[in-house]
Amino acid sequence: MPLLTVTALSKRFGGLNAVEAVDMHVDEGELVALIGPNGAGKTTLFNLLTGVTAPTSGSVTLTVDGKPVSLLNRAPYQVAKLGLARTFQNIRLFARLTVRENIQAAMTHRYHENFLATVLRLPAYYKKEALVGGWTDALLEAFDLTAVADLAAANLPYGTQRRVEIARAVATQPKLIFLDEPAAGMNPEETAALTALIQRLRSEFHLTVVLIEHDMSLVMKLAERIYVLEHGKVIAHGTPTEIQQNQAVITAYLGGGVHA
Amino acid sequence: MATKWKAALCWLALAAAGFGLINVLIGVGVIDTFIENMLVTIGINIILATGLNLIIGFSGQFSLGHAGFMALGAYATAIITSAMPTVGGFYLSVAVGIAIAMVVAVIIGIPTLRLRGDYLAIATMGAAEIIRVILNNLKITNGAAGMFNIPALAGWPTVYVMVCLTTLMIVNFARSRAGRAIQAIREDEIAAEASGIDPTKWKLAAFVMGAATAAIGGSLDAVYIQTIAPGNFGIMNSIAILIIVVLGGVGSMTGTFMAAAVLGVLDTVLQSFGALRMVIYALALIAIMVFKPSGLLGRYEVSIRAWLDRKGVNNAASNSNRAE
Amino acid sequence: MQTFLQQVINGLSLGSIYALLALGYTMVYGIIKLINFAHGDIYMIGAFWGYYVINTYHVNFFVALISAMIISALLGMLIEVLAYRPLRHSPRITALITAIGVSYFLENGMSFLFGADTRDFPQAVAQHNYHVLGITVSNIQVLILVTAVVLMIGLQLIVQKTKMGTAMRAVAVDPEAAALVGIDPNHIISFTFGLGSALAGAAGVLIGLYYNSIDPLMGMTPGIKAFVAAVVGGIGSIPGAAIGGFVIGLLETGVQAIGLSAYKDAAVYIVLIVILVILPSGLLGKNVKEKV
Repeated sequence: MPLLTVTALSKRFGGLNAVEAVDMHVDEGELVALIGPNGAGKTTLFNLLTGVTAPTSGSVTLTVDGKPVSLLNRAPYQVAKLGLARTFQNIRLFARLTVRENIQAAMTHRYHENFLATVLRLPAYYKKEALVGGWTDALLEAFDLTAVADLAAANLPYGTQRRVEIARAVATQPKLIFLDEPAAGMNPEETAALTALIQRLRSEFHLTVVLIEHDMSLVMKLAERIYVLEHGKVIAHGTPTEIQQNQAVITAYLGGGVHA
Repeated sequence: MATKWKAALCWLALAAAGFGLINVLIGVGVIDTFIENMLVTIGINIILATGLNLIIGFSGQFSLGHAGFMALGAYATAIITSAMPTVGGFYLSVAVGIAIAMVVAVIIGIPTLRLRGDYLAIATMGAAEIIRVILNNLKITNGAAGMFNIPALAGWPTVYVMVCLTTLMIVNFARSRAGRAIQAIREDEIAAEASGIDPTKWKLAAFVMGAATAAIGGSLDAVYIQTIAPGNFGIMNSIAILIIVVLGGVGSMTGTFMAAAVLGVLDTVLQSFGALRMVIYALALIAIMVFKPSGLLGRYEVSIRAWLDRKGVNNAASNSNRAE
Repeated sequence: MQTFLQQVINGLSLGSIYALLALGYTMVYGIIKLINFAHGDIYMIGAFWGYYVINTYHVNFFVALISAMIISALLGMLIEVLAYRPLRHSPRITALITAIGVSYFLENGMSFLFGADTRDFPQAVAQHNYHVLGITVSNIQVLILVTAVVLMIGLQLIVQKTKMGTAMRAVAVDPEAAALVGIDPNHIISFTFGLGSALAGAAGVLIGLYYNSIDPLMGMTPGIKAFVAAVVGGIGSIPGAAIGGFVIGLLETGVQAIGLSAYKDAAVYIVLIVILVILPSGLLGKNVKEKV
């Protein structure tokens, strides 16, 4: 059973078919890329899958503990708790919170703190804080953020902010992580570091990754399978080599205004 | 000893010293009834405003109905202590007031906390007005005339202890899992939700917590002033609490303490100005806001722990210097 | 049926006062996102000005109305320049507290200078009652309704048809983009305050005529009710504010008519909350969802 199964998913905004009859699946441990020209409906598809926008029709199923669970009619926080985390195209950090607080906030659903123990600072509170502090330190270390842990997220350079956002998504302990244009606005060195980081998401954190990206060299290097979206429809899918030779894809990219 | 325990002891010592100081000053006559009144008013305002600051500054929800929750506590105390005029009755009434305020906060919060910014402000203001109108028309609350001869079951020591207790609870709440969750929602609700945080639940938690402390403030107000009427809990009273929060600095509990004190003293000093009092008060308010738009303290907090940490680092540094 | 119609007439009279006030709230909010708490006090100043010129110079109603509008407009613009303009880039809550400060200042300043007592507004127009189909309509009610409607139509023309109105709408949508195409936002914001305050001043004179009594705190409650009206109508929307004003006016008189006058304020707020829960941006407001 695939980790994520999307069947005939559609979203209409007024008269516009933003996403139309999309079928896709993501297997456990895979790295799948979603590409397509601007306005093809990639982010809308992410929003449909993560509960931000409700689809007009179709189904989305996530495999949780071996059982299929429908993601429809679930709020974004419920989808996140089920194990689907995401980053955003325009970085959305908790700007005035420190990097450590950003990460810890994303762990909220992973532990519980008793109210009385919290407000009276009983030992149980310190025990929980130590536990979460440990998780946080490990994650900060793994993402090379220890040095900036106590800085406000808003004051970090762009590349670091991207890294914090990915770390924050990992902090929710997901099975599947969606990255929305993580390399946008990055210089070649930053992109190279990001490529290594995404590979580590799979090797170290055993995450399944779905990626929206315009940087084709990054996509071709990382992705095992690619879905190509145009005008809300999947016009092709396959391995990077197959996609590179696909006539429909070449037309979509070269015909309707060059991109990528 | 761990810094956290040292810091806690420092705060405890500070609170005890403050208590002792007031006691001595009353004993030698420096603090007369007039000043004692002022101190109690400042204390009650601190309780009210720290709770509102939790809602506005930490969870980022603009509530304008704080006086409504205060009224619930005040009336619970007035009604219960009229039947049970004992200290035990007073504490029971505080507990009942808190419980009622929490239930009402949930009822108001669930539909309205989905609203954004000023819409929420106006909806909570409306909810508080509805509470006031109901209190104004019930028999048990004695309608518009209000309730008087409430037994004087709490003096400044009770208020002082309550200030310490509620502040401790609110500050600790703000620096915990709950505090991080509500601040994440304040910073970016969409990202918080994508990180597994249920916005409604946590906004409601902060709102209910603020309402509970407002009820405590109301109970203390009732037994200290000994007279309450629905007119004391109107929009202007909610605004008065809001002014303390904004003047001190939204999100700064230290600022709330300072603003409550500054306004309390200002109010006392201006008593002698008669009709000009409110004109000067208004001008002072405008001037502070125009010249200090982020409030007296911005987001600054006094932290003994951070101070000890810094001292610890300096000591370690000087020790290692000596070793060289 | 007759009592119902009678209440509708009364409700429309009161509603037109709320509507005039609500328009000022909605325009200012639309352009700088400020709940101008001092707006109700401008209405009070308008009423006091009317009282003063009619009593002292024995001018007729229209001179009083027009001059009150001019004075209120100037006052509104002055307040904006002195108290709100320095805070253009500060947190919005700071500007809100400043507005509350301005409101306190106007209320208490007037009490200090002229006394806090209530006074009778001069009868600039002799009251006549007309009995039509069993209901009583006074010439003052007709005058209020007609004046309010004329002013609202005038406002709509200014906002929709004039260059200034176009600029106002542009600044409301995007102040930076408006500045880039050569519109001076300060100029437009000033104009908006002037326009809104003029309507509040007119409402003040009209209410003086209707209720015959004025005092320095008369602006507080109608100010808040009018803001509620603006929110109910969808804040930022000019037709919404007008509709909201009439809705609140009719609701208040309706609740009063069925013998629940003690609960009329509660009814207004219940309707407010219900409308916001169903339509989070009011009757005619646009619900802008944040883009992800």
